[in-house]
Amino acid sequence: MALVEIRDVRKTFGKTEVLKGVSLDVEEGEIVTIIGRSGSGKSTLLRCINALESVDSGEIRVEGQQVHAKMPDLKKFRQRVGIAFQAFNLFPHLKVERNITLAPLLTGRIDKSKARALAEDVLTRVGLADKIDAWPEQLSGGQQQRVAIARCLAMAPHLMLFDEVTSALDPELVGEVLKVMEAMAKQGMTMILVTHEMGFARNVANRIVFMHQGRVWEQGPPAKLFANPETPELASFIASAK
Amino acid sequence: MNFLPLWRYQNQLIDGAIVTLELTVISALCGLLIGVAGAVALKGRLTPLRLMVRGYIELFRNTPSLIQIFIIFFVLPSFGLKLPAFESAAVALSLYFGAYSVEIIRAGLDSIPPSQVEAGQCLGLSGWQVFRHIVLPPALRNAYPAVTSQFVLLLLGTSLASQVAADELFHVAGFIESRTYRSFEVYAVICVVYFGMAMAFKALFAIIAAAAFRWPRRR
Repeated sequence: MALVEIRDVRKTFGKTEVLKGVSLDVEEGEIVTIIGRSGSGKSTLLRCINALESVDSGEIRVEGQQVHAKMPDLKKFRQRVGIAFQAFNLFPHLKVERNITLAPLLTGRIDKSKARALAEDVLTRVGLADKIDAWPEQLSGGQQQRVAIARCLAMAPHLMLFDEVTSALDPELVGEVLKVMEAMAKQGMTMILVTHEMGFARNVANRIVFMHQGRVWEQGPPAKLFANPETPELASFIASAK
Repeated sequence: MNFLPLWRYQNQLIDGAIVTLELTVISALCGLLIGVAGAVALKGRLTPLRLMVRGYIELFRNTPSLIQIFIIFFVLPSFGLKLPAFESAAVALSLYFGAYSVEIIRAGLDSIPPSQVEAGQCLGLSGWQVFRHIVLPPALRNAYPAVTSQFVLLLLGTSLASQVAADELFHVAGFIESRTYRSFEVYAVICVVYFGMAMAFKALFAIIAAAAFRWPRRR
């Protein structure tokens, strides 16, 4: 059984059908990168996987459990699925430590005496142990995104979703975030990313999924997909992304 | 000009100022509770409740506070609800302050981007936890300046309670004036007292803000 099973998912916003029957499996430990032009439905698909959007038809299963906005243990489910956003979404009124430990404490994952150690541990993994007492506003974009990833790691997720996490960053800050993600990949985290970073897609991902007009247009290992795209749409996308 | 005849009334003036403070603080606290509850109701899904809150806001923001006090003091007794002067004024001013607070706090809640709520939900927090820990603190900070200036308006507005003979500062001033015929002196003194209280509250609010809202502002 795949960790994530997506079956014929459809989703419409107003009159626009954004997902037109998407099916996709992601195995445990796999790094899957979703690429495609804006409007191809890749972010929507990602948001459906942790029920930020509900699907109109079809189904999504994570660890065998069907995912939808009204599922009875939605909160428990989301504690197992981390998501990092383009805009970081750190809580501005909480210091880095509290940003990280708020959810583990409120959901009863850890007690107060272990909170600081947990924050130190996950911050070390993203290389920001010295920023534990900083306010989010005092950090650069790249640092904020790394804290946001650390915040997810503190919940020990079984699956990580990344929604264009480097798109809002200055070019010189992209590398530090990608390095953290690469380290996570090496440790065996199952990851699904929506990204425009073709270098990362090529070097780290096990599989590339090219979405086009609300469908999975083409998918396969990065070496094959980038070298020999089967469809003209992917060929032209690769050419324009260079 | 002669302030000396006022000297023997200093205890009455102090008592009046204390009643004014009590009326202000009680009405502000009750009004703030109404404000948070009303703002939550306005953002909720229950349409009848939303309409009721809307109606309440419009009613109390578009009629004179003096009439609101009169209605509670003079009219409600004929429906069997008789409140003393101070209590009538406190109820009326709470409702008046509450009507403004609902709008101010709702605007504060609206100023928090939905992405913050989403981030909280994605960490597995409940709706209440997201509201209490993620939305409310920055919303209160954004609402704070408007709440404090509304508070000063409330402080000055308590003088209306004199019209139902609540023993607050303005009513005491009227009493002293009728005894001494020193109109200018009496009103000059309570004017200074009101001004002093307003300034003291402003200083207090600045101290509270510095302690409660320590995170840096967005650049």
